[in-house]
Amino acid sequence: MDNILSVLVFFPAIAGLLGFVVNKDSARAYGITVAAIEFFLSLWLWLSFDSSNAGMQFVELIPLIPDMGIGYYVGVDGISLFIILMATLMTLIGMMSMTITKNIKNMIITLLFLEMTMIGVFVALDAIIFYLFWELSLVPMLYIIGAWGGPLRVYASVKFFLYTFTGSLIMLVGMLFMAYVYHNLTGVWSFAITDWYSLVLPVNYQLWLFAAFFFGFAIKVPMFPFHTWLPYAHGQAPTIGSVILAAVLLKMGTYGFVRFSLPMFPDASVMMITPIAILAIIMIIYTAMVAYAQKDIKQVIAYSSVSHMGIIMLGIFAMNAEGISGSVFQMLSHGIVSGALFMLVGVIYDRRHTKLMSEFGGLASVMPKYAVIFGIMLMASVGLPLTIGFVGEFLVLLGFYQVSPIMTILAGTSIIIGAIYMLAVYKKTFFGPVTNEANKTLKDLDSKETWSLIPLVLIVIWLGVYPKPVLEPIDNSVKAMVSFMHEKAITQEAKDMIKVAKTDKGGF
Amino acid sequence: MMENLVYIALFAPFAGSLFSALFGMSPKQTFVGIVASSLLFISFAASATLAYHVYSTGAAVHVTMMEWISAGDLTIPFGFLVDQVSVTMMTVVTLVSTVVHIYSIGYMDHDKSFNRFFSYLSAFVFSMMILVMSDNFAGLFIGWEGVGVCSWLLIGFWYHKADQPREENPSISPSWAANEAFIVNRIADLGMLVGLFIIYWNVGSLQYDVVFAAVPELSGSVLNAAALALFIGAMGKSAQFPLHTWLTDAMEGPTPVSALIHAATMVTAGVFLVIRANPIFSATPEVSFFIAALGTFVALFAASMALVNRDLKRIIAFSTLSQLGYMFAAAGLGAYWIALFHLAAHAFFKALLFLGAGNVMHAMDGELDIFKMGGLKKAMNWTYIYMGVASLALAGIPVFAGFFSKDAIIETAFNEGTYVLWAILVLTAGMTAFYSFRQVFLTFHGKARYDESTLHPHEMYKFVLIAMSPLALLAVIAGFFMGGFQTFVTKLLPDYVMSDHTHHLIWVLTAVVLVFAVGGIWLAYKKYANGLKRDEELENSFIYKLLANQYYIPQFYEEFITKPYAMLSEHMWKDVDMKIVDATVDGIAKFLYKSGDGTRKMQTGNLSNYLNWMALGSVLLLVVAAISAMLS
Repeated sequence: MDNILSVLVFFPAIAGLLGFVVNKDSARAYGITVAAIEFFLSLWLWLSFDSSNAGMQFVELIPLIPDMGIGYYVGVDGISLFIILMATLMTLIGMMSMTITKNIKNMIITLLFLEMTMIGVFVALDAIIFYLFWELSLVPMLYIIGAWGGPLRVYASVKFFLYTFTGSLIMLVGMLFMAYVYHNLTGVWSFAITDWYSLVLPVNYQLWLFAAFFFGFAIKVPMFPFHTWLPYAHGQAPTIGSVILAAVLLKMGTYGFVRFSLPMFPDASVMMITPIAILAIIMIIYTAMVAYAQKDIKQVIAYSSVSHMGIIMLGIFAMNAEGISGSVFQMLSHGIVSGALFMLVGVIYDRRHTKLMSEFGGLASVMPKYAVIFGIMLMASVGLPLTIGFVGEFLVLLGFYQVSPIMTILAGTSIIIGAIYMLAVYKKTFFGPVTNEANKTLKDLDSKETWSLIPLVLIVIWLGVYPKPVLEPIDNSVKAMVSFMHEKAITQEAKDMIKVAKTDKGGF
Repeated sequence: MMENLVYIALFAPFAGSLFSALFGMSPKQTFVGIVASSLLFISFAASATLAYHVYSTGAAVHVTMMEWISAGDLTIPFGFLVDQVSVTMMTVVTLVSTVVHIYSIGYMDHDKSFNRFFSYLSAFVFSMMILVMSDNFAGLFIGWEGVGVCSWLLIGFWYHKADQPREENPSISPSWAANEAFIVNRIADLGMLVGLFIIYWNVGSLQYDVVFAAVPELSGSVLNAAALALFIGAMGKSAQFPLHTWLTDAMEGPTPVSALIHAATMVTAGVFLVIRANPIFSATPEVSFFIAALGTFVALFAASMALVNRDLKRIIAFSTLSQLGYMFAAAGLGAYWIALFHLAAHAFFKALLFLGAGNVMHAMDGELDIFKMGGLKKAMNWTYIYMGVASLALAGIPVFAGFFSKDAIIETAFNEGTYVLWAILVLTAGMTAFYSFRQVFLTFHGKARYDESTLHPHEMYKFVLIAMSPLALLAVIAGFFMGGFQTFVTKLLPDYVMSDHTHHLIWVLTAVVLVFAVGGIWLAYKKYANGLKRDEELENSFIYKLLANQYYIPQFYEEFITKPYAMLSEHMWKDVDMKIVDATVDGIAKFLYKSGDGTRKMQTGNLSNYLNWMALGSVLLLVVAAISAMLS
């Protein structure tokens, strides 16, 4: 199937539209079916993906506005492939575990629409198409938080929308300027990302453009100090909203850095290593400390997300294949683990309608299965070897060590302070005697919850023990990208900094 | 054939862990313990066979199972290396583990989480086997973290216990102690990771053989940095000062755990790392001397705290810490094989001592205060003999294992000309003898200091006592294999022999150590063999209190690290994140909203007002245009 990417993008949206005529009682089943089909389609994409090919595959190009060089242009490489798989997987699992009953039909339709925008972002090879999906993804999330959220839902959703939207607009200006420069230099208009790659820009242009894209991506990640929308969004969002937000939407920002900033502006990226690394280290340490101070389990996970995104940012700017591949892998790892942790918080919230740690204690005695799965996810979150969390974190720190040992040691404190806040959560929630009467009769995971979480547990262990099937295609594309950047860089500093792997096979 | 044995030795404990985990949430099933123990025995048998194979052929067995992580130029396989060093560790670990597993069937018989316990315990052995068998630093790190998690699970095994104030329980609670152990180890693990990074970026590989072959080409500063970073990792697992506090708190775990993890195996992982990476440490004399000096300091430091402690298990924990110091002293001075020998001998007698202490606890209904024991000799004859033998070995009395291994370390310090270290180690040997026998006498001799009307101590089950016998036997005879052991491991490790000068003085040196050891026992006998006479004045003295409170180091950590960290976190959240970062964002939004709201008043609907605004705007635009024209 040549146009599998288009199918992946539009199938959920069309199915979502059809969802309007589905009976309210069967909406859930309908949604799960659609999400499952979508997930199997993405698995098929992986099966037909040629792992040894580092370039774009399944490319489709339909010119839309030929005069302006805008077209429906999509494709997938090792970097985007697994983020797409993760998006379809988390949508499916999120839907399976969903306990919402209010306006369930609207929720299902919204989620399917959201799925389209997420996949659209990760397959787009045309800047305008990318931007369209990027912005469209805000709408369903705005609706999910605003309609199904907690007491402060309107504030949280508007803040989320306006904040990220502001960043995107600056990015849009950058895109338009990029196209303008492209036109000036080549005489033709093009918004194709692959065309933009070939453009060698003077350093000052690179810096301005880097800055414009930076705001769009950094707010989405979210990087310190643009992160304050996130705790509100997570705090107010229903479980499904948090799962998708943490697992997939945040990755759009870090993916943007890999897809746009690095290959388009290699010199500017190298010049920006230190400032970005400093922000990333602040993210890692500062938000981990803030996480420790939280009273609400969900807020801990929310802030821990920011901390882990700091690791991902650091890896992207390691300028070697070890770091960048690790970073892309860590995007997947964080998606699975934080998604699972938010689902786990949802489990206890459904039972007690509170997320405050002080309300709990001793849950390991009453809910052993829940405690075990939470424990596994905790260990993955703190990067225990043989879980998915270790591979990415290890590679990122290893890769960045080449750039700066001191900054790596600072960033490496994440393995300590990460353990501090996660173990504190676990101790306060699961250990000690059961003091609260309300907790004595809590039911352990039911079958729906168990079967939504088990696949994630299996993935966490499988990719921790044997990451090769995923890491290899990522690494191939990353190595090719790094050698392309090295080739393209015009300053000597950048050429020195960007380390081409000896095992690189090329093909970007 | 041998390759299969490697996998059997490695995965049998894993199979035991998974099997036990199947029953993890169901009530006690004795067969779970039996199956887990049998699988451990299989692992031991495989390890022993491998040991014999390596011994007879002199060749290592090397297997590569599959690739683990591969990115950029980095490739890490799951590879396992069975050579003289790792096979020694494998045999010691599986032997002690088998004994401890069987012991636990008896010790944990009333625990409702019996099955879960075996699952954790076998998982620990599996991690430990990965640690010692791996053929690269990253694989070692897998085991390193794996044993850390199992240690966390097992220290916090009785997680349901509530936190208590430090005055009532110095370890606060099992879950507190578990978290402390995990976090302190993580601090060291960061050092270890940095060591890995240094090695990778300078050598291009993490495989032992590649790295060690590249050592001669590396610069001194790189080697020093790598050695120091690796040793920081070792300091965490082996609880060296200042990362030592977790080890005594780890005594909150069930006693078999203390015997296996916190005495015989996991805590020696740091020593193992130094021995394993001996080509790096041999090339860095400064770092090695630092290791030896720190080890010697810890030997004395820990022994001093053991002198006054009243807690049966904590005394043994301090003694473990002290003996780890001895091992580091030997390794730091280049006597790697002696360090490994002491590691093995110590594993036998210390595990025996802990298991004996477990018998006492079992008999005394969980009581740990040796001031509330006494006279247990009659009721618990076998335990008395076992603990006596273990203490004799620990004190370094001739024919017992500790005499050979510890004496060799002390001689090494003399041989190296580091007389200060030698003197400290000799003094520590005396203190070791004293506190060991203080404990034995207070527990078993004299009159009962507990309420005999309610408590009727009883000897442990027979099968448990039988299971302990291999350890007792080894604590007695292990020393006689020293020569053979030396020939065996020095095929791989650098040999270390005493100079002629030391050799001539060997009787004098031995005599000096013996005088201290016997002196310590004699002193303990004088003071405690006929019951406990409390010396109020001594117990209220500054020194006594300082030692009893572990030099106030746990309190210091709490006041100057834990509490400030919590305060700073709170401050970061409430004052920085909420009041500065987020308030700025909301401030910008409010400004835009307010300015919009304010300028709304311009919309009066009055045409002449609009004209005025228009005129004003035109003027402003003109001015801007004029200025920009002038500037350009």
